Amino acid sequence: MKTPKWNKQLLFAPYLYISPYFILFFFFSLYPILYSFYISLTDWNGSGEKHIIGFDNYVQLFGDKTFWLSLWNSSLIFLMYVPLMLFLGLIFASILNSNWMVGKGFFRMALFVPNFVSVVAVSFVFILLLNTQDGLVNSILRSIGLIDNPIPWLESPWWARISVAIMVLYRWLGYNMLLLLTGLQNISKDLYEAAYVDGATKIKSFFYITIPLVKKMLLFCTVLSTIGTFSLFTEPFILTQGGPLNSTMTPVLMLYTESFQNFNFGYASSIAVCFFILMMVISLLQMRIFDDKE
Amino acid sequence: MEKTIKIQARDTSNSKSIWSSSLAFILMALASILTMFPLFWLFSSSLKDISEIFVNPPIWVPSTLHWENFRELFVERKFGIITWNSFLLSTTSTLVALIFCGLAGFAFAKYRFKGKKFLFVLVLASLMIPHEATMVPLFAMYKNLNLIDNIWGVILPDLANAFGIFFMRQYCMSLPDEMMEAARIDGCTEFKLFRRIVLPNLRSGFAGLGIILFVKQWNNFLWPSVILRSQENMTLSVALKALEDSNNTPYHLIMAGSVISVVPLLIIVLIFQKQLIAGMIEGAVKG
Repeated sequence: MKTPKWNKQLLFAPYLYISPYFILFFFFSLYPILYSFYISLTDWNGSGEKHIIGFDNYVQLFGDKTFWLSLWNSSLIFLMYVPLMLFLGLIFASILNSNWMVGKGFFRMALFVPNFVSVVAVSFVFILLLNTQDGLVNSILRSIGLIDNPIPWLESPWWARISVAIMVLYRWLGYNMLLLLTGLQNISKDLYEAAYVDGATKIKSFFYITIPLVKKMLLFCTVLSTIGTFSLFTEPFILTQGGPLNSTMTPVLMLYTESFQNFNFGYASSIAVCFFILMMVISLLQMRIFDDKE
Repeated sequence: MEKTIKIQARDTSNSKSIWSSSLAFILMALASILTMFPLFWLFSSSLKDISEIFVNPPIWVPSTLHWENFRELFVERKFGIITWNSFLLSTTSTLVALIFCGLAGFAFAKYRFKGKKFLFVLVLASLMIPHEATMVPLFAMYKNLNLIDNIWGVILPDLANAFGIFFMRQYCMSLPDEMMEAARIDGCTEFKLFRRIVLPNLRSGFAGLGIILFVKQWNNFLWPSVILRSQENMTLSVALKALEDSNNTPYHLIMAGSVISVVPLLIIVLIFQKQLIAGMIEGAVKG
């Protein structure tokens, strides 16, 4: 360094600046996750003694139908909303990206609002809207003659999954639309004009220019949604309590139920460890995608 | 030549696409109505009597506005202190996290020190540990530390924020080194440098991250619902869920409580919408 007088400060300042994070990280992330591994090897119920029982919890977990069902439910919910969300998100983003559109700011905000409004509040509104007998959705569908019998939105396994998927779609469509919009804004307008001159229709240039150029962004949204779907908690917890027949049970909801309702801390920790490994694999995948972009 | 082609292309697309652009406008308007509708229903239901919530045909706007729903929440259900808790929690954790993330982000962007690369990789790696997987051991730790049913128990783990460090590092990269060198030569200490130069120059970065953290903490539900027990310690999200009753859930009160939790955030976000949107995108794409 040019100014030796400051060397001492320059040496210590950065360590001092990053130390709060690392101290907190140690106490509230690293130590707990390691402790989680340890608890998962015991039969602890939260208050009594811990007895080491080896991998029994994992053996039990891998034989637990509810656990596999929770992964299956997440996958089904993922398939129900992600393709639709990306499709609609891309269409809306393309519309907001064109220069003739009016009211862009308003539409962008209107679609984005559900993303930051309390998910607990919104879940309760959906309970009102989706109520089988007197919910607004069923009464509208009946009055326009689309259905004869009310749809059991929250009371049959398949409809309950669809309801959760609808709510997740509601909350995350606007966010994904914004991500795709940034992707679109990076595409040069000249490309479209050149295609137009060459006689390409709008639909053709959408499929041959837009989609290939936002493929990375679509992939990124998919990875984010994968993480989000496996971590789903509040929506199924409030809408359906994981039911009916565990049809909306998710890994995090199961972790919560086993730990803070049934007090099987040991067993719950084995879920936590598996969940952690699953999230790590997905995150590593995400990093790979972004690595070869740069 | 190139110029004329461009003009031509624009002209034709303008005249030709009136139909498709109005179709696009209608589509966007329809989508916006669908996303805003649940919020409308939330506000409308919050002013209904319990008997008007589930009726057929539905009541769009109640004929008498039942403001007493709100009065009941504040007078009998302690929503005054609950709202204050949410506010205190979100503000404190956001401010402290901004300072910690700002300092660390600044260090990673602008200093050279031993182990920097390794430590930064560690920060990135820590993003992979989901909060949910640490709940059980944290709960056990909290029992010993007497942090159960304590708002500080919610605040503490969220002060360590790898995403925030990454976010602030991006912003700090844009600071010119010459400005800092000049200040150092003038006898500025390192911490003063942060306060006098980094803070004022990165206002938009701090605003963006601040609003993201505030929104996240205001709506935080899972962890607070695990550790907050008594009514006077609850936050809004937890209190809403606690209004549920297995026999007779007062949905009119839940809706009124939801309005209390939604309105302050709507106001803040509408004021800071640019920072929020820019921040969320930047955070997602670069993080």
